Amino acid sequence: MDDSEEMAPGNGATEMLAVAEFLRGSLPFNELDDADLNRMVACLRASYQPRGARFESAEAPAGLRVLRSGAVDIRDADNKLLDRLGEGESFSIAGLNTEQKNVVATVIEDALIYRLPESDYQALRRSHRAVDRYFTGQRSRRLRRAARYQAEPNAMAAELATVMAKDLLTIAPEATVQAAAAAMAARRVSSTFVVDQGKLRGILTDRDLRVRVLAAGVSPSVAVSEVMTPQPRSIDAGQSIFAATLMMTQSGIHHLPVTRDGELAGVVTTSDLIVARQDDPVYLVQRISRQQDVDGIRQLVAGISNLMVQWFSSGMSAQQISQILTAISDAIAVRLIQLAEAELGPAPKPWAWIGFGSQARAEQLLGADQDNGIVIDDNVEPGELDWYSKLATRVSDGLAMCGYKYCPGEIMATTESWRQPLATWQSTVRRWARAPTNDAVMRVSIFFDLRCLYGEADLVARLQKVMLEQASSNTIFLAALAANVLDTRPPLGIFRRFVVDRNGDHRDSLDIKKRGILPVTEIARLHALAHSLPAVNTEERLAGLAKQGFMTMADSRNLADALHFIQGVRIRHQCDQVMAGAPVDNYVNPRTLPRLAREQLRDAFTIIDEAQSAIRQTYRAGMG
Amino acid sequence: MWRLQARRWLQTRRTPPAPELAALWAGPLPKPGTAVEDLKFLVCDAEMSALEVAEGELLSLGWVVIEAGEIVLASAQHHLIRNERSVGQSAVIHQLRDCELSAAGDTETALRALITAAREAVWVFHHASLDVAFLDRACQQVFGAPLLVPVVDTLLLEHRLLERRQQTIGPGDLRLQACRDRYHLPPHDAHNALVDAMATAELLLGHVGRRGRGLVLRDLL
Repeated sequence: MDDSEEMAPGNGATEMLAVAEFLRGSLPFNELDDADLNRMVACLRASYQPRGARFESAEAPAGLRVLRSGAVDIRDADNKLLDRLGEGESFSIAGLNTEQKNVVATVIEDALIYRLPESDYQALRRSHRAVDRYFTGQRSRRLRRAARYQAEPNAMAAELATVMAKDLLTIAPEATVQAAAAAMAARRVSSTFVVDQGKLRGILTDRDLRVRVLAAGVSPSVAVSEVMTPQPRSIDAGQSIFAATLMMTQSGIHHLPVTRDGELAGVVTTSDLIVARQDDPVYLVQRISRQQDVDGIRQLVAGISNLMVQWFSSGMSAQQISQILTAISDAIAVRLIQLAEAELGPAPKPWAWIGFGSQARAEQLLGADQDNGIVIDDNVEPGELDWYSKLATRVSDGLAMCGYKYCPGEIMATTESWRQPLATWQSTVRRWARAPTNDAVMRVSIFFDLRCLYGEADLVARLQKVMLEQASSNTIFLAALAANVLDTRPPLGIFRRFVVDRNGDHRDSLDIKKRGILPVTEIARLHALAHSLPAVNTEERLAGLAKQGFMTMADSRNLADALHFIQGVRIRHQCDQVMAGAPVDNYVNPRTLPRLAREQLRDAFTIIDEAQSAIRQTYRAGMG
Repeated sequence: MWRLQARRWLQTRRTPPAPELAALWAGPLPKPGTAVEDLKFLVCDAEMSALEVAEGELLSLGWVVIEAGEIVLASAQHHLIRNERSVGQSAVIHQLRDCELSAAGDTETALRALITAAREAVWVFHHASLDVAFLDRACQQVFGAPLLVPVVDTLLLEHRLLERRQQTIGPGDLRLQACRDRYHLPPHDAHNALVDAMATAELLLGHVGRRGRGLVLRDLL
């Protein structure tokens, strides 16, 4: 770096570019003095990298890259997010790769990047210890940050000491059961430890009070030692969360004392262990149900897109992922309803919250709209209806805050026609079935996929019963529904070429949800309604149709396979977008798919086409 | 590119330029099919005392070089040019005062440095016609011939891009910073020839980066 003035063809004007001022505000370059800083600037090269650009280990040219603007995601070989860098932060792919193999940096916001060529970067590290130490220490810094963005998959290996409660309620063996219960109530804990001369003698839980005192008719004035569980199993604080989970599930206990050097040090409960497993979808659902406000839920679900990438790259199937994502949005809706109820007081009359469309079918992915409604017991008084309106507004706004967009067609509980007593709902369904205009059928077809998310499931079941009766016996209605199914043809042209958008924002792409997923869904729905099948999930509908002989086993399986394959392509596409920091959509460019996948996609569309032809003959015969 | 070659040839037959300019012309012209990342660009900006060649003079020149898709920061040069006439009103714009300009060099020194840096390069300006008109006249005075170099105009590129997207082009949409904003490039302090040249170079990289791989010189002309 010393002879840079000789090498530079410039006339020392580089200083005017204010790059040194910029670097002075960033770690670790703030350690350099003016002369060294200017020498560094003279070695830099600036480039522009649009969103989606990638840096991989093999890719030349090497060196340290400093972000002047924009943002970059660093991911490991398993697509796990290691770090997200912004303005003033720097990375060296070669350096990262010495810590972890096959690290990839992806630009997620258009970036202006200064590159210090590898030889100059190494020279800088050699001549400045502080700079060298900074870049050597990046690994631990990165790991710390990774934990902030994403739970470590091996969180189960963490020490128990990190999750156990240390503030324990202890009690002497000779204290009365009454006193123990009072102390537990005052501290709002579900267990107390019986300790004698520093040694753990027993444990007394809510369950013991119920089973061994109340149910057995034992007087509350007996000593704790009479009813406690003596010599409870305990675990050492150095053991892992996994070991504790195993011990608790095997012996069916919910409170496990933790000891250190034989002394009582704390307690872990089942709920502590749940909280520790942040990236497990099952536990994510449980954590949602514990949130006390909308903002808490919003924060929890903010990381879902990253989790989806993790699940998909760990080999979860498309159906599993959509089931999980649906379970998560179910949990969010239920929690929002509970929070609204807590605010508004109990419902005046029995009611149920209905999920429609993909939520009902358990086929949601990221970016789903909210489609929902409310059915109310027929005994509701006009003056009581306001409660349901208020509840709908709170829940719908909460869902919107959590990323579920308001339904553009206003199929939401906030719309009065989608929030009705059962009898009104039933007459609406009869009206639809009586005069099925094509437009009306298209608008309401989503309504025929419904599921009770909360409240009186019986109300929803009765509504669905009327719906199935009306639909299956009405050929005109079924014909209108069939016309709707035939409206969207698979995007295959002559010679099985893909039909893609020729211009606009989605040039060369096709809407894989509209052209691939929805047709299968609609085919399954039409057959299910025609044959009064109560299932709503597309796979279950197809299986049910085959089982009852309304569809051949081969057709049923083919359609299910087509659906799975297309859904897989869609999830993969969305994962790519998440990794590139782009908003997710359903527009897939077939040319970006591997050749085999492209052929399979063609096959899938052909299967849909054939199934549509069958529908034309069955339901539209003689109708043109 | 062929027409440029012809104009140089005609000019040489009529009045041969001074050796410095002749040396620049002697180098091979880039082929229109050359991949953009294989090209060398000289991104230049000039400040002048008026917007008409007849009324104004060059006040300063600034430039940077792009090689293999990267701006070489060390290539940055900035030259103030001494003038007979006073700067007058435009000082407000350029923040150059007469006392600073008196410390400046002459046009010839600046042009020689510029031409040396520009060997085998494609020249880039934002709003090229204005800068090229002033440079042509200065070259005529110093070397006895106009510049006659391949030129890319980022303003024109942006204009075409917006037209192709059928966007209405409002007043100010093609200003340097307005163009940069579309690529999320950071704000820059305008009105120093070098800083503007750097800003233009970043814009060119943004434009090229956004249009994607496989771009060749022909796509930029």
